[in-house]
Amino acid sequence: MPIAIEVLTSKHLLRIREIVGFQHPEYCYQCAKCTSGCTSAKVISEYKPHLIVALTKLGYIDELIKSGIIWACSECWKCSEFCPQEVSPVEVVLALKNIACMLGVKPPKAIQEMAKNVIETGYIQNPMNITTKDFELISREDLNLPQLKEPYKPDKWKEKLKLLIGGASNE
Amino acid sequence: MNKKFLLYLGCTIPTKQYAYEVSARAVLPKLGVELVEFEGATCCGFPLKGINKNAWIYMSARILALAEQYGLPVLALCNGCDVSLRETIFILNKHPGLKDEISKMLEEEELELKNNTRVVHTIELLHDTIGVKKIKSLVVKPLTTLKIASYPGCHAIRPTEIPRPENAKNPVKIDNIIKALGGETEDYPDKSGCCGATMLPYDAENAIRISAGKIRTLKDYGFDAVVTSCPYCMEMLDAKQEIAKSLLEDEELSIPVLYLTQLVGLAIGLKPGELGLDLNMSPVEDILEKIEV
Amino acid sequence: MEDVRIGVYVCHCGKNIAGVINPRKVADTISKLPHVIIARDYLYMCSSPGQDLIVEDIRKHNLNRVIVAACSPSMHLHTFQNAVKRAGLNPYLLEIVNIREQATWVHDDNPEKTEKKVIELIKAAVERAFHLYPLTTETFPVEKKSLVIGGGIAGIKAALDLANAGYKVYLVEKRQSIGGKMAQFDKTFPTLDCAQCILTPLMVEVGSHPNITLLAYSEVEDVNGSPGNFTVRVKLKARYVNWDKCTGCGTCVEKCPKKVVSDFDEGLGFRKAIYFEFPQAIPRKPVIDAENCLYLTRGICRVCERFCPVGAIDFNQQPELLELKVGTIIVAVGFDIYDVSKLYEYGYGRYKNVITGLQLERLSSANGPTKGRIVKISDGKEPKTVAIILCAGSRDEKHVNYCCRVGCILGLKHVYYVKKAVPDAKVVVCYTDIRAFGKGFEEFYRKIRSLDNVYLIRGRPMEIFENKDGSLSFDVYDSNTDLMVHVDADLVVLETAVVPPKDWEELRRKLKISCGPGGFALELHPKLKPVETTVDGIYLAGFIQGPKDIPDVVAHSGAAASAAIAFMSKGYVESTPYIAFVDEDICSGCGICASICPFEAISIEVEEGRRVAKVDSIKCKGCGACVGSCPSGAIQQHYFTDIQVLTEVEALARG
Repeated sequence: MPIAIEVLTSKHLLRIREIVGFQHPEYCYQCAKCTSGCTSAKVISEYKPHLIVALTKLGYIDELIKSGIIWACSECWKCSEFCPQEVSPVEVVLALKNIACMLGVKPPKAIQEMAKNVIETGYIQNPMNITTKDFELISREDLNLPQLKEPYKPDKWKEKLKLLIGGASNE
Repeated sequence: MNKKFLLYLGCTIPTKQYAYEVSARAVLPKLGVELVEFEGATCCGFPLKGINKNAWIYMSARILALAEQYGLPVLALCNGCDVSLRETIFILNKHPGLKDEISKMLEEEELELKNNTRVVHTIELLHDTIGVKKIKSLVVKPLTTLKIASYPGCHAIRPTEIPRPENAKNPVKIDNIIKALGGETEDYPDKSGCCGATMLPYDAENAIRISAGKIRTLKDYGFDAVVTSCPYCMEMLDAKQEIAKSLLEDEELSIPVLYLTQLVGLAIGLKPGELGLDLNMSPVEDILEKIEV
Repeated sequence: MEDVRIGVYVCHCGKNIAGVINPRKVADTISKLPHVIIARDYLYMCSSPGQDLIVEDIRKHNLNRVIVAACSPSMHLHTFQNAVKRAGLNPYLLEIVNIREQATWVHDDNPEKTEKKVIELIKAAVERAFHLYPLTTETFPVEKKSLVIGGGIAGIKAALDLANAGYKVYLVEKRQSIGGKMAQFDKTFPTLDCAQCILTPLMVEVGSHPNITLLAYSEVEDVNGSPGNFTVRVKLKARYVNWDKCTGCGTCVEKCPKKVVSDFDEGLGFRKAIYFEFPQAIPRKPVIDAENCLYLTRGICRVCERFCPVGAIDFNQQPELLELKVGTIIVAVGFDIYDVSKLYEYGYGRYKNVITGLQLERLSSANGPTKGRIVKISDGKEPKTVAIILCAGSRDEKHVNYCCRVGCILGLKHVYYVKKAVPDAKVVVCYTDIRAFGKGFEEFYRKIRSLDNVYLIRGRPMEIFENKDGSLSFDVYDSNTDLMVHVDADLVVLETAVVPPKDWEELRRKLKISCGPGGFALELHPKLKPVETTVDGIYLAGFIQGPKDIPDVVAHSGAAASAAIAFMSKGYVESTPYIAFVDEDICSGCGICASICPFEAISIEVEEGRRVAKVDSIKCKGCGACVGSCPSGAIQQHYFTDIQVLTEVEALARG
């Protein structure tokens, strides 16, 4: 079924450009240089940065966010470096990720965990006991490393970050 | 040149990639660098950019404001932290409105942001601040017969709008350090490529396929080892090497992976135990034999 | 006191003016003003009867000022000036009031207010008319000679057109031979003519035309004077060969032991230290490259001198300065290709087998470094897979942000070259768009689409990597098929962006002409004046005005020659009457006006012990910048004196 033209809208592009900042997603002319060299596209064939920009320009924000494909970006910034129109697809994807979290769509599980931990402790994970090749378990203390630093003013830290990223944590 | 730095470890290094911290603390003072403990400095926000860009800027700006209290430059060991801090400096300079907002948030915590902190990464510290000549003069166990690949990692190189440790067109700083340590190196395809770490939360298997491809190229070009300066890259190339082997069904897909600080430490005479080399998951013993350590 | 007698004419312009206001009523109101002898309204003032009204009234009523309230002066100023002239009155005693574009066309929604505005505008003009005085123009004889800078196809065409029309032409070319980029091509699209075969006959014509003085291996040093009377100094670079004695036998080139990387072959071949640009060079006289000649750098050799049968070698030769007086200058300096090593991701300059489209032209040419064989640069063997990448550096905000206009069709032509030279080769073209707009281009594109083992991929590769054997690999996404394609190629051809030639900025400043986006020369009007510049008498020909293919270059160049001929054909040039003039009693010689004048028309001279500004009436364009800058009001502009302008302003303010 053809898509009715009324469905297409560019009203979200302004919001996305605000988040993106200095680059220009509106100027993309679909040369696909980004997709040709994209780190993620080499292993995940559905991930095509030029397609994400094109769909964004037509207003398919909801669909992009709900599909979760935007989290496949490896943030290597090659697309931004080589894009001839300063579109910077990586920043469009970052804006979509931000909008997703704003709308309550949760990021991948591991990122939710990281958010929760950062709010609580200031770090994306608790200090781990790692295994060496001889199957020994080593902790931070075993290595005589100084104690892990606490965030400056931890209460203020928790308060601010709960507001800013709490929605995306897995609580 | 001033060699007193706040040691900024970020998240990954002090909670998992201990080898980087161990080797940095052991090696850098031997090269004349004084490391100052950076109290109150935790995550820079880099892994959470996708959740909220302003949260990330706030977190990095907080680190910068704390550094200003010390009045010292910041040494960021992790590529991600380095790009975070420097990109924040760049954005706040270009966006005075945002800078005011962030300053207000920091004022509530009795922090002021002048946005004039100098941030330096391991690569520049070794290559520019300490200098390749000085490092060469301290070498007692030259890494001759070793062909080592330099793997700067994408965030040491991009985005090029902000100052980066390595030059995008010609990333040679790590190469120069390898040569100063007596080793050999050469260019190889996609040297400035990505290890795929940021894709792990979405699709771990495919993310590891990316770094597996890197290891494949390194083997094809006959490298004895690969050196990196980022805990994410180390995680992908080193810790995930076993998984890469089974993914690509190739037992030959193994190569020693070291931190730049570990490599320098070996060449200037430190023992593997002092450099956390027992924590590397890749077969570093292979090269330890070659340089008689 | 002069008895000012004014005639006012209010045009209906059909319904354009009369449809909004009442011209009869307006004329009646105006006729009541003092010194308005007669005020008429008429349907079409610009028509013959309309003009005749003015002529008859001037004669009958002894009018000495005429005001025409009608359309914009840019439409009919000259019409009415000529009418006034015919009646024996000085044409600068005429004033046009624009009551159409500036009144009835813009305020047609409010006729009452518009009529009031029209009356106020005409009243102000009446008061201004008191201060008008007769103006004259000066005529200057024009040199019926032209200078053409640049000997590529543009310069050649312009020179021949001018010479055939009977004008003397000096053609200055900085290289040893004329021919330009076109001489480097193998074939031209879309007809696939051999470039040199169609070019060299024109080159020979230029070389032997009685009206053309060919100054090869020469450059323009400076340009002075004014339109119709330019004085140009040309430096004939030292070539260390006496061209009057030289017969062009070529023995010296044969015997010279020093090989130098050839510019003409785009770095892929060699020439000697004494050389012809290419075998069909015109003039057929060699030059010695002083930076590479063994004698001139190290004092050894002199083999050419020994073998020259007529003793034409002269190592003591000095550069010569020639002073030329010309009426017009045609700028035909062409372009350069962009330094595509700046796109480090494509590896040009680092990887041997990545070449530019121009380099492929040299490989494909029968007189090129491989005698027409298309080969890998690394080992001279035939390639099995050739990748052609369009838009290398073009349409890119980080490099050259405009389209090169010729790359798409060049890329398709190069497909043809490769398939002709290596029929079994696989050819891959990576494009973003295919712009095949010209005559015969779509047909050519259709033909290429039909070729076997040729793949047109709609996508742009990001990075090219070199393999150990010198071959190249890259990934490219094809949006036609949604496939990610991995290409292993033996040879990669980059169709590069185009930029103005590297010494263009220097020459442009000498000529005092403007440049536009991208640095190319700026034409006077993008649609209607493609060859004129802001300086009368200087015209643009070919690529220097913007990217074009050969047919467009030739058409453009012909237009430039034609414009130059029109300028020179009258034999004289008229200055504009609206020029600046100095009241020398007030002028203190401070020099601010001279420093501001963009046309360098004002000079400060010392007369009777004091400094005073003097205006060159042929250089002055009447822009008025000096008037605004003068702190004492000593310099004024005819037809726009302070009194004339301020009187009109005060009348409008009064309402």
